[in-house]
Parts: sequence; C-alpha cells; structure tokens
Amino acid sequence: MATVSGMSRHAWRRLSRHTHFAAVAFAVTLVGTCNLSAQPTKITEYKVKAAYLANFGRFTEWPGTDSVNKSESFNICVLGQDPFGADLDSAVAGETIGGAHMLAKRISRPQDAADCRILFISSSEANQWKEILGALRTLRVLTVSDMPQFNRRGGIIQFLLDGNRVRFDINLAATERAGLNLSSELLKLAVTVSRSP
Amino acid sequence: MLKFRDYSIKKKLTLMNMLVSGVTLLLACVAFGVYELATLRSNMVKTLSIQAQMVGANSASALLFNDAKSGENTLSALKAAPTVLSSGIYTLAGEPFAVYRRGAGGFVPPIPPMPAGQTEEHWFADKELKLIRSIVFQGKPIGTVYIRSDLQEMNHRLVQYVGIVAAVLSVSLTAAFLLLMAFQRAATRPILQLAETARIVSREKTYSVRAPSTDNHDEVGLLIEAFNEMLVQIQARDAALQTSQEELEQRVTQRTAELDATNKELEAFTYSVAHDLRAPLRHIQGFSNLLVESFGPQLEPEAKKHLQRIGEGTQQMGRLIDDLLSLARIGRQEPRLQATGLNSLVQEVLRDLKTETEGRDIQWQVGDLPFVDCDPGLMKQVFYNLLSNAAKYTRPRKPAVIDIGQVSWEGQLVNFVRDNGVGFNMKYADKLFGVFQRLHRKEDFEGTGVGLATVQRIIHKHGGRIWAEAEIDKGATFFFSLTSQNDGRQRANGPEGGKNGDGKRT
Repeated sequence: MATVSGMSRHAWRRLSRHTHFAAVAFAVTLVGTCNLSAQPTKITEYKVKAAYLANFGRFTEWPGTDSVNKSESFNICVLGQDPFGADLDSAVAGETIGGAHMLAKRISRPQDAADCRILFISSSEANQWKEILGALRTLRVLTVSDMPQFNRRGGIIQFLLDGNRVRFDINLAATERAGLNLSSELLKLAVTVSRSP
Repeated sequence: MLKFRDYSIKKKLTLMNMLVSGVTLLLACVAFGVYELATLRSNMVKTLSIQAQMVGANSASALLFNDAKSGENTLSALKAAPTVLSSGIYTLAGEPFAVYRRGAGGFVPPIPPMPAGQTEEHWFADKELKLIRSIVFQGKPIGTVYIRSDLQEMNHRLVQYVGIVAAVLSVSLTAAFLLLMAFQRAATRPILQLAETARIVSREKTYSVRAPSTDNHDEVGLLIEAFNEMLVQIQARDAALQTSQEELEQRVTQRTAELDATNKELEAFTYSVAHDLRAPLRHIQGFSNLLVESFGPQLEPEAKKHLQRIGEGTQQMGRLIDDLLSLARIGRQEPRLQATGLNSLVQEVLRDLKTETEGRDIQWQVGDLPFVDCDPGLMKQVFYNLLSNAAKYTRPRKPAVIDIGQVSWEGQLVNFVRDNGVGFNMKYADKLFGVFQRLHRKEDFEGTGVGLATVQRIIHKHGGRIWAEAEIDKGATFFFSLTSQNDGRQRANGPEGGKNGDGKRT
C-alpha cells in the first residue's frame, strides 16, 4: 500500500510539474508572439547598430568623468545625416548607464560634440573626416562610424557587415588617444583590433 | 534451529553486543551518509550556480552584441567541468543563442521556465541536475543560462561512501567481536563456572565442590558467594545427618549387643533354673512311687487317688522342664546346616508318633518334599512338634486328615502342615508362637505352650519365617519357609540327615 501511494504521489508531482511547465511555455509563446507583432517584422541594420551604440557605452570607461552628475545625461550623438531615425531614440529610451539617462542627440558640427560620450559620424561626412577628427582630438568621445577606412583614419570603432551580421573593428591607438578604456569584453568581440595611428 | 532464549549466555551476550554495535554503527553511518548526500547535493548546486554565473558574466557582451561564436567560446570553457552534460545561453525571448554539448549524446533542450521573481532555479530529475540562471548585466536581465549536469560524481562519491561504510562496519565489528571475546571471558566465565559447579553438584550429589570465586563484587560475584554458602550449609547438614545416623547405628548395635547379652543371661538363667528344678521333682516322683509301692495296700483309695494326682503333676512338670530346657538349648546353639531330605525326616517323625497315635484314625498325606540345607536334628523337632500338634487338635475328627507338602507362596517355595482339626480364632494368631501361650483349655488339649515357640525359634535360626492360617472347627495350616530353600540349593539327591534329634512332645 505504502509503495503504491508513494508512487502515485510521485507520478502526480511529475504530472503537475508537466502541466505547470506546459502552461508557462504556452504563456511565454503568447507573450513572444505579442512582442513580435508589436515590432517591425524585419530588424533593420540600423536598428541593430543603434542598439550596439548604446551597448558600447556599457563597455567603455571615460576616466575623469566618473563623477557624473545625475542630472547630466549620457548623450549619444549623431553627426551628419541621421541614418537611424527613430530606432536610436527607441534604443536609448528608458536606458540608464551609471545612473545617467541615455539621450540621443543630432548634431551638425563636430564642435557641438563636447557633451557627447559617443559620437556616430554618418557616412555623409566622409569627405570631412580630417576636420572632424581634428576637432574631436581634445574631446573624450567614443567615435563610431560605418564609413570605410574609418579606423585607419583615426576613428575608434568602425561597423562592418559580415553577411547579415553587424560587427565592428577597434582602433586601440585611437582609443588611447581619446583617453578611453575599452572593456576586454568588447575587444574580444571585435573582428580586428588595430593600432593604426 | 535453537531459539534465542535457548542460546548460552555467552552466545546471547555476543549476539546482543554485536547487534547493538552493528545497529549503532549502521545508524551513525546512515546519518553521516544522509548528511554527506545533502552536502554533496548543495555543493553540486553551488558549483553549478557558480559555473552558470561565470558563463553568464562572460557571455553578457556576446549576448549584447549578438556574437554567438563568442558565446560558444565562453561555454566551451565548461569542458573543464566533466559533469556538465550540456549548457545553453538563451536570449530573453527564450531562443537558443549559444549551445555547448559534451559528447554526441547531448541535445539542446527547450529552456525550462524561470519561476517569477527568481534569478536562479535548479531541479534534480532523471539522474540529472538542471539549473537555469538569468544573465543580468548592469542590473538588467539580458538572457538565461541553462546547465545540465549528471550525477555521476555524486553517485561515485556515494559508491565510495558505501564502500567506506562497509569497510568501517566490518573492521569495527571485527574489532568489537575481538574486544567482546576478551571482555566477555571475564564477564561470563564466573557464570559458566557456576553453572558447571551446579551441574556437578546435581549430577554427582557431591557438596564438597565450590564454584571458583571471583574478585568481582557484582551480582554474579554475590550469586557465587551465596551458592558456595549454600553448599557449605548443605555439606554441614549432610555431615551432621551422617554423624547422627552413624551414632544411631552405633547405638542400635550397642543396644542389640546388650539385648543379646541380656537374652543369653535370661536363657542361662532359665536353663539353670529348669535344670535345678529337676532334682527336687525327681525326689517328689521317686518318693510318691515309693509310697505307692511300699504302703499301697494300706492306703485308702482316696489317698491313692491323691498320690496318682501327684504323679501326674510331677510328670507334667517334668515335660515342662524338658521343653524349657530344649527351648533354652536352641537359643544357645547355632544350627549346623547340611543337605537334608525332608521326606525321610517326615517318615522318621511319623514312626516316632506311632505309639502316640495308637488307635487313632489318621490319614497322613505326605507330598513330595525337597532336599534343603538345614540342621537335621532341629528340623526334625519342627516336624515333630507340628505333626504331633496336628494329631492332637484333630482328636475329635474321624478320620483325621493331615497334609504335609510344599506350595508356592509369593514366588517362594514354602512347606506346610495342614489338618482338619478344631482350628483356632485368627484373632489370636499373633499369640500362637508365644511361650506359655495357649489358645485351648488344658482340659480339652494337654500341652505346655512351649512347642510352637520352639518351632518358631528354630525357623528363625534358619533365617526363615513361620505363620498360620486357621478357622474355628475347620482346621489349621502352618506354613514355614527356610532361606536355604530359596537360593536354589535344593538338591534331588544328597546325604539324608537321618539323625534323630532330641525331639520332644509339645
């Protein structure tokens, strides 16, 4: 009798666990479907890049600016023609980093990048790269761009496309010049880490 | 099979102690085992949790930058953990992001749900430990790690533990057994020795043995002391009993000797008195006869009658003296045993009785009598007295029938003399063989009352027994046995002791 009831109790527990599991799995599927339907069906390249821009901030240190005023925002700026549109705004919406709120800014002149932590330089500015990088030389700003040769010209992070995947290269020399520390986690993910001057 | 309660104390003690120590050890080992198992499980969970945390921490960037390869690189570090079967990193939406499998058998399972409000959960199921943990980066959940681990290590440890327990148990029990043997000898030896002593006492009835005493002042020591004390008392009582018995025997012997001496004295006295009475009696008889011969014609017929009475009286007294002398003589002499044919002895007696029974109608019926070891003279007197008695008390019968023979009585051959005379009242049977005891009036049947006493004394001298059965007016039977008749020394042939004893009439 004891073994029978013991077995049945065990079986019941297993059954209830399965039921529980199935119910939760169903719920997760429902939620997933809802999320999927709420978002654009195709994840665009710049949507990913916008998310990456925000994430770069999480693996970078800005020495000397630790004592970030809480009221000060963590600005992610776009110089030149904005390829992100609303994607960048939605990527930073509600996000904080080190207690500061993330904010997307569009600027037209490199001189306006003084309060930017991360500066995405649009391909539209490819012809003025020398002037731009020169203007930024004294600023502690993480420069990111998807224009070709960006790293070799002194940029810090350059987006690449590996098939459908968005990847990036890192120029360590430029990083040091800007006085920034990149996390080894980030370096680990870079396709190449160069030391171009 | 013997029951436990029938086991010897030694075996009982051994069994009990072994059982107690065995059970105690086993319980202790089981308790430690359960504790060990619990510790092992919690340690496994802890280890797996740490692994999950490390994987999570190292794969955060990979998740954030969608680098599955990097995630897989991170997961491949789990190679160093041999118990991990498979592991996976899942995105927040629950889709597999990076997977690690040990060997070919693993598969990527769908991620189990994380209970609400928790960052980690584990299950022991299907011989596996499963653990999921949220990957939290800078306070934000960004994915989930899932690790499956087999329980081989735990099972291995358990097997090891069982082995250790078995070894500990066997070594401990062996040690316990050896110790027990050593200590038990001290505890049970006094009991065993006590039991052995008790056995000797009850079997051989010797109370001089003692249980070896011990220096232990425990219950067994007390028991042994008490037992020995009891033996001492029994022995003392035994000795006292024996002493008193010996004393008693000695006293009996002494009294018997005294009695014998007194008896002898009495007999000697009787003999001398009887002997000395003869001379004056002879004078009375002689002078009475002289008076009749010398002065017979001058005497008045009345006087003659008186003289005749005197003569009869003296004759009677002479017979009495003779009988008493005979009785006394028998008391003083030991029978000289020789093989004697009772048949010829009886014939001799019948010849002697011929004159006495002249004119009587008596049918003598003599059966086949054996040869016996006896004193022929004394035995002839026995038959003479018994046969003349029979003839006397059958006087009123015509014809008188007297049987002499042998009969089996309670497995013993006894001789008998039966008559059809006046018999007697069995009430007085015990007085029959007393000296001067008579059951009939002197006027009816003459006699001195010494004859049967003489017969009894002779029979007793031969180690035999005599008794009588009778009924008034229907006759009497006298039975007698001789021990020599009993021991198979009866012989068909042998020298007949035809010697004539000094048989006297009763």
